[in-house]
Amino acid sequence: MKLRRRVALGILAGMGAAALATRSYRMATRSGSARGVHLVGNVFPAMQHLARIAQAQDNGELHVSFKLTSEFESEVEHAFSSGGESAFDAAAVSMSEFTDLYGRSQIAPMTDLVDKHGARFGLEERMLVRVDGEVMALAFMQNTQNLYYRGDLLERYGLDVPRTYGQMVQVARRLRKEEPDLQYPIAQGYGKGFDVAIDFANVFSSLGGRYFEPGSAEPAFNDAYGVEAIAQMRSLMPYMTPNALASNADDVMNQLQQGRAALGVLWASRAARMDDPLASRVVGRIHFAAAPAVHSGGPSAAHLWWDGFVMPRNAGPGREQTFLVLMAMLSEQAVRSGNDLAIWVRSCYRPGRFGRGVALAEAAGAPEWPGEPFYGLLHNELGRVLPDALSGQRSPEEVLNEAARAFRATAQQKGYLREGSA
Amino acid sequence: MRLRSFLLFTAPTLLLMTALLALPLATTFWLSVHSCAPQFDLVTVQQSGPFGPRELTTQRARLDSRGHPVENCKFVGLSYYANFIGLGGSASGQAADLQQAGAPEVASGTSNRVFLAALSFTLLYIAATTPFVIFFGMTLALCINAMHRRARGFFISASLLPFVITPVVGALCIKWLFRDDGLVAQLLAIGGVHIYWMGQAWSAQLLVILYGIWQVSPFAFIVFYAGLQSVPQDTLEAATLDGASGWQKLRYVVLPHLAPLIVFVSLIHIMDAYRVFEPVLVLTKGAFSTSVQYLTYYVLLQENNPYKASAAAVLTLTGIAILLVPLLRRTWREQRGLA
Repeated sequence: MKLRRRVALGILAGMGAAALATRSYRMATRSGSARGVHLVGNVFPAMQHLARIAQAQDNGELHVSFKLTSEFESEVEHAFSSGGESAFDAAAVSMSEFTDLYGRSQIAPMTDLVDKHGARFGLEERMLVRVDGEVMALAFMQNTQNLYYRGDLLERYGLDVPRTYGQMVQVARRLRKEEPDLQYPIAQGYGKGFDVAIDFANVFSSLGGRYFEPGSAEPAFNDAYGVEAIAQMRSLMPYMTPNALASNADDVMNQLQQGRAALGVLWASRAARMDDPLASRVVGRIHFAAAPAVHSGGPSAAHLWWDGFVMPRNAGPGREQTFLVLMAMLSEQAVRSGNDLAIWVRSCYRPGRFGRGVALAEAAGAPEWPGEPFYGLLHNELGRVLPDALSGQRSPEEVLNEAARAFRATAQQKGYLREGSA
Repeated sequence: MRLRSFLLFTAPTLLLMTALLALPLATTFWLSVHSCAPQFDLVTVQQSGPFGPRELTTQRARLDSRGHPVENCKFVGLSYYANFIGLGGSASGQAADLQQAGAPEVASGTSNRVFLAALSFTLLYIAATTPFVIFFGMTLALCINAMHRRARGFFISASLLPFVITPVVGALCIKWLFRDDGLVAQLLAIGGVHIYWMGQAWSAQLLVILYGIWQVSPFAFIVFYAGLQSVPQDTLEAATLDGASGWQKLRYVVLPHLAPLIVFVSLIHIMDAYRVFEPVLVLTKGAFSTSVQYLTYYVLLQENNPYKASAAAVLTLTGIAILLVPLLRRTWREQRGLA
């Protein structure tokens, strides 16, 4: 009897705890959706600046949180695709995430809110990312890849700033000869994954290649342009550290800051860190130019990016409140107080020595980042296999075919390609 | 014991194990044989933004009346498994290959053997680290046990550091030591040895293995050190009186006493090593060394495919189950009184 009573009591206690937890959860979510604004974004200085502004809106009436995480992409994906209300009322995303979210119909237009409040907050047309007239995102910063070069060394040896990959190799050869400490004058992030695929995309686009058959997700990059792109990337490798296949943008930045490299294509948003006296040994000596084209007369081997805020289709009530918090982050005041932290979209932005990257790339003909929602899948597959071709383990043709196969399989699993289509 | 009492006693455990182990496992398996994808429509859109207008022909998920994406879910059987181990000719094989002079014929299924590649490195990692972990753990334990009592505290704390440090932080420290201009790389360069550790397969794999030995040896050490405290002193004294040398005492008294602990540490390490993840992620990002656990992570986060990732997880679990067979057999025999 005692045993039975104890079991019954245990079950009752368990049920009570579960009921209490459910009630607490309901209360928490109710207060979160009605009286709170929850944002998410990647971690970098400009975003931290915006997060501080957002959190300054937090007061007794309104709770504002801004989650900064390097895993924001998967957090956004899960929140925006959730069957219930999204855990985040808005997210700061880059172009690649935007195209993915838009393709999956997971973001909601903000046109009504822009029409209602836009003029009051001085929203500029170039900040509005419109798709078929509907405002789907609010762009706040831009980015691209630039050529970082040691101005002092090029001047010392009378070398011109390289405008093509061929010239880059010539400059590297000369620097290696003249500067015994510069065994590896070029720094590029060919690390497996995102970084190496970015470099491939830059070179491939500069060559004029196209990733997909027109109007479909059928891969088309495994062609002569793809092979040529890999050959161009390999042409730099004798002048890069043998660790390049495990190097990412952080490593490239480090090599440039430590004076171990004299040339490198890197994100424009990292330019200011070249003059950080705490991290750099070459303060004032790194200069910036448009990323070289692959061939003379071609477009710069780089892409133009923007970052912006989007709101989920499954947002809870309080869209307007969220929008007003976004307006605080996108205000002229926010840009002025963080002028050197990013290349802002707002026209009040005053580019300094580190802020001309996007203008340089635009002038040199760099295209926008691919806008197909399935491009991200291709990027993953390329990032996975390209190091095999760059290291010479397998031929370029082999890895491109493999990436095309793997992409088709993934695109079919994701619904972008129908099975049996070819 | 009456059946009724037996059931009442075991019911809470059974319920918990069902809720926390059996149900998640069953769900994972269910996911691994299914696939869901949104329905897309081909659309041409006009897009404008900071860089001006452009026209895009793209695809967009179809929405239902409630505004939710319409999804197609279907049973795909074991196709993800077949894909992982290189058996299935997936539909992806229809991609038009490069037809160029000199282009080698692409072996079908090359891309599909990712699991086998990950498994082979994982097994190499297990085989390479286990003996060294036991050896260094034992050596450390014997050395520290032989020290003066006052000195032991410091050396025990110092030896445990690699095990205490979070694996990701530990792997980052190792990466910084071995990368370009890293301390170890520089010291080796001064000695005329120029190794770019992340540049080739052998060195990248060696680095992951070295990290494993460095990180896990302290665990073996602390277990063996605890075991050494219970070595029967009278047996050791008797061996000394019989004229046994230090090596003979170690060989015939200490090691037999520690044998169950050696088996325990080996099994725990083998199971842990099968799940090696952090050094692969931090040191090489999967280049030259892909583990089965990294594969699940990659599929889940990069491909964002929970169905395929579930198949990778089930395959990983199957591997662990196979590795557990000796332990389960031993436990079974012990419980039956046959050991």
